[in-house]
Amino acid sequence: MEHLEIHPPPKPVHPSAEVMVRTRDLYKSFGDNHVLQGFNLDLFKGENLVVLGKSGSGKSVLIKCLVGLLSPDKGLVEVFGQEIPKLNQDDLDHIRVKIGFLFQSSALYDSMTVRENLEFPLRRHWISKTRDEVDELVIEALDNVGLKHAVDLMPSELSGGMRKRIGLARTLILKPDIILYDEPTTGLDPITGREISRLIVDIQHKYNTSSIIITHDMGCARIVANRIMVLVNGICYAVGSFEELKNSDDPNIKPFFD
Amino acid sequence: MPRQEAKAFRDFLLEVGSISDFTARFFREGFKPRYEWSELIRQCYVIGYKTLPLVGVTAFIMGLVLTVQSRPTLEEFGAESYLPSMVALSMIREIGPVITALICAGKIGSSIGAELGSMKVTEQIDAMEVSGTNPFKYLVVTRVTACTLMLPVLVVIADCISLYAAYIGVNFKDVVSLDLFFSKVFDSLVFGDVLPAMIKTYFFGFAIGIIGCYKGYNSTKGTEGVGIAANSAVVVSSLVVFILDLIAVQIADILGLT
Repeated sequence: MEHLEIHPPPKPVHPSAEVMVRTRDLYKSFGDNHVLQGFNLDLFKGENLVVLGKSGSGKSVLIKCLVGLLSPDKGLVEVFGQEIPKLNQDDLDHIRVKIGFLFQSSALYDSMTVRENLEFPLRRHWISKTRDEVDELVIEALDNVGLKHAVDLMPSELSGGMRKRIGLARTLILKPDIILYDEPTTGLDPITGREISRLIVDIQHKYNTSSIIITHDMGCARIVANRIMVLVNGICYAVGSFEELKNSDDPNIKPFFD
Repeated sequence: MPRQEAKAFRDFLLEVGSISDFTARFFREGFKPRYEWSELIRQCYVIGYKTLPLVGVTAFIMGLVLTVQSRPTLEEFGAESYLPSMVALSMIREIGPVITALICAGKIGSSIGAELGSMKVTEQIDAMEVSGTNPFKYLVVTRVTACTLMLPVLVVIADCISLYAAYIGVNFKDVVSLDLFFSKVFDSLVFGDVLPAMIKTYFFGFAIGIIGCYKGYNSTKGTEGVGIAANSAVVVSSLVVFILDLIAVQIADILGLT
């Protein structure tokens, strides 16, 4: 039987690791709802950075700004040293291939089988791959998430946990350098949530990915985080390791750990 | 103007502006590579081939009913011999294109509205975008083009089926050979009957596709929004079919094609 304690912790980040994602003075509002009010963030190579915040605090808005799904009102958004809001569509698409995004709802394409879901990004970007090579990559991605047997199922035949895993496999198939996880354990039972969290750590070990994990699940944060950033009132309120923040008496931080 | 009516009128103008903008985007994106040939062919199959049984049955019934219902009136004037000509002119000039377009508005418009609406609310469109695929080109351009190309084909098939049904209807009381029936049909038709009818079907197809896609692509309010998108796609595209038909008749009249 596998126990949490024997699972490897997140891989330590090299002290001089390069910055993969940087935001400075990031502002985003929806009408009178000022979601981000000068948010600053640095994600280092090989790091798992958890962004913690209450529901509606703007965590998902933040990562959508990082991939250009939303345009910030003001501020700097840099990924791989390139300013995302200033890129043209072709350059943005080129960068997006190197960024994986796991959606809260998994966002599997309902009309396609699991195999077709995984092949979709491959067909778009690696047209020169042969049928055998594509098959090999699909099986490898599914093997990573332990769902090789689900290759010919439809998304409607999958459980919530399986959908998350397949979503993760689809994210992994283009071998991204950065992965953005939008509430990866939301809606899952604690056991499945823990499995997904462990999978995130395994992926970090195996592919040396840099990840931002948006969550308010403390169990997930404890397993995956190298660093935790607390988002309060649209700004980065506090940064630290799980243990450092857990021992904080700050009234804005303590409730997350109670 | 009372405030409520003024607001409704303003909303209407905004909606028209928004649809125009969406249509302009279709032309901007549609002619730029990369072209989504395989998805276009798949959509032609889904929209054309899978709608054929419904269109075929409806056309058969229409041809038969029109013949049977028209006979007594023509008999009163001793003009039964004009039955094939009358049915052919009615079907090819007006009833065939309009009824086929309305059936397609119901079947295709609602299915596109619901499909894209559900993809929107479950973040599948966002997932496509972050994987470096232009969802507008992949989802909207292919569906609108397929609708535009397939509707004229469906109308031609519907016209043929309805004329054959009319032949059966004529033979309920008389004995008329297939050769004689169709020779009377083709004697009564001129180029000016067929051409405007065919041209307007391209516009019907385009309108059904663009409105279905617009409603689905811009749906909000979660699952409730999917229903609203499907429903309004049918209502608006049916209305637009009638408006386009009215415009087409006026243009044909001005050009002396009636």
